[in-house]
Amino acid sequence: MARGVTTARSDAETGTEAGRIEIADVCKLFTPRRGSEPVEALRDVSADVRPGEFVSLVGPSGCGKSTLLKMIAGLLTPTSGRISVDGTPVQTPRRSVGMMFQTPELFPWRTVLKNVLLPIEIFGHEKEFHRKRALELLEMVGLEEFHKALPRELSGGMQQRVALCRVLVSDPSVILMDEPFGALDEFSRERLNVELLRIWEETRKTIVFVTHNINEAVFLSDRVVVMGARPGRVLSVIDVPLGRDRPRTQQIMRDPAFTECVFEVRGLLGL
Amino acid sequence: MRAVNAKEMPAGSESTPVPGPARAGRRLSLRERPEIVLAPLAFVVLLAVWDLVTRTGVVAPVLLPSPWKVARALRLLLTAEWFPANLWTTVAETLAGFGIAAASAVAIAVLLDQIRLLRQVAYPYMVVMQVTPSIVLAPLFIVWFGFGISSKIVIAVSTAFFVVLVNTLSGLASVPENSRLLMRSMCASRLQTLFKLSLPTAMPFIFAALKTASTLALIGALVGEFVTARSGLGRLLTQFSFALRQDMMFATVIVVAALGVILYGLVAFLEKKLIWWR
Repeated sequence: MARGVTTARSDAETGTEAGRIEIADVCKLFTPRRGSEPVEALRDVSADVRPGEFVSLVGPSGCGKSTLLKMIAGLLTPTSGRISVDGTPVQTPRRSVGMMFQTPELFPWRTVLKNVLLPIEIFGHEKEFHRKRALELLEMVGLEEFHKALPRELSGGMQQRVALCRVLVSDPSVILMDEPFGALDEFSRERLNVELLRIWEETRKTIVFVTHNINEAVFLSDRVVVMGARPGRVLSVIDVPLGRDRPRTQQIMRDPAFTECVFEVRGLLGL
Repeated sequence: MRAVNAKEMPAGSESTPVPGPARAGRRLSLRERPEIVLAPLAFVVLLAVWDLVTRTGVVAPVLLPSPWKVARALRLLLTAEWFPANLWTTVAETLAGFGIAAASAVAIAVLLDQIRLLRQVAYPYMVVMQVTPSIVLAPLFIVWFGFGISSKIVIAVSTAFFVVLVNTLSGLASVPENSRLLMRSMCASRLQTLFKLSLPTAMPFIFAALKTASTLALIGALVGEFVTARSGLGRLLTQFSFALRQDMMFATVIVVAALGVILYGLVAFLEKKLIWWR
């Protein structure tokens, strides 16, 4: 699998750790209220994501996929086990890891461009260079003429495109996406999925994509991590056998291999 | 109403087809928004009833002066040489009280929002202080801070403070969880999160409170002046009351009302300027 995606990115072959995620024996217990029984959110989760790989986490609600994502982001700490990103253990959030949520979380008082530049402002990076870069990114998602607009003037899909630009502007090595298109209608979601693949193709970031949509997961990913609930755990990791001819288009959904893979995942989830 | 109808009359003549659509448009807007005419009309009706009541002697003129008498008293009040100083006293007390209350309430709310333990400790006291009408402290504040302007400012602060504090706190608490996570995922510092996310999110809450607080500060200043004062509109009111000058009392009330409206309008104007994204 790594072979396929490293053609555009030499990091993996030269052994650089940028974009690599290692998850080893991670458990997470939550105590919902003081003194109450702890809930086992994740049990013995181990998985690796190679640099430049697109991996989806799929499972029913309560399987801990969002929890796992937040732990990779450094927003939560595992009760036991280790997580490392770029070859170093995760303790706190880091600049090389970008995050996207189901809601765009654009700030309504900022213009589109200023929303995209938010991470740059927070990092204290050079503004003029990144302004150009932000405009290029907006152009890439077809929103360059909206750079002065306020978020409320945009549709939900456009807002998520802006959020995508915001996560890309600081050039992170890893992008974590928590059901980023889950709140959109089916048409916008499919269009954004294709767009996301095209952008991933161009940038070759490591992407971890949380979804409960099996078709979406298979369509997008190199590998699908299938998770089960109570306790949250990894049931299986499926290689998506859809060849290396990226970027994929919706045509691939006609491929019997696609359907085969979707039904393999469905079977694991008991559907 | 009659005036508007008279205006519409010429355009209403059937022989002129050209202004037709425009006329229809105007009529429609009047029909859709009758309050444009009805609200001023209500005022005229009120004045007429007031006038009628005083003319017929249903209410003794000592108790309720006629509108014309109040109008004369208002002119007298506004042109009196002692009026500006009294007006300024109340304005200064209100503005100072409002400003101090707003600034300190927002600052304390931010502090409470940042330090959870502090918030939990302070919460019951805040509830007690909020449900106690702070006006009852006015006589005490006069004893503590004297007869001058400073005791009125303290009273104005105490009446205007809590609504800003409580609203700012709920504004800061209304920041979406994912927005917080986003800021954390970008390694934003506490100050960055406060200034780039929390405070802008709380702004509409803060301004809603500031509008109420502007009126409350005016009430505080006036009540302080009622208790004891050397100068101010509240003092004028009590003096006119003792002198049985109801016409002058009404005139003062009109000035106070105008002051309240102007203050509120200023805050509402600032709100529009500062919260442009709404």
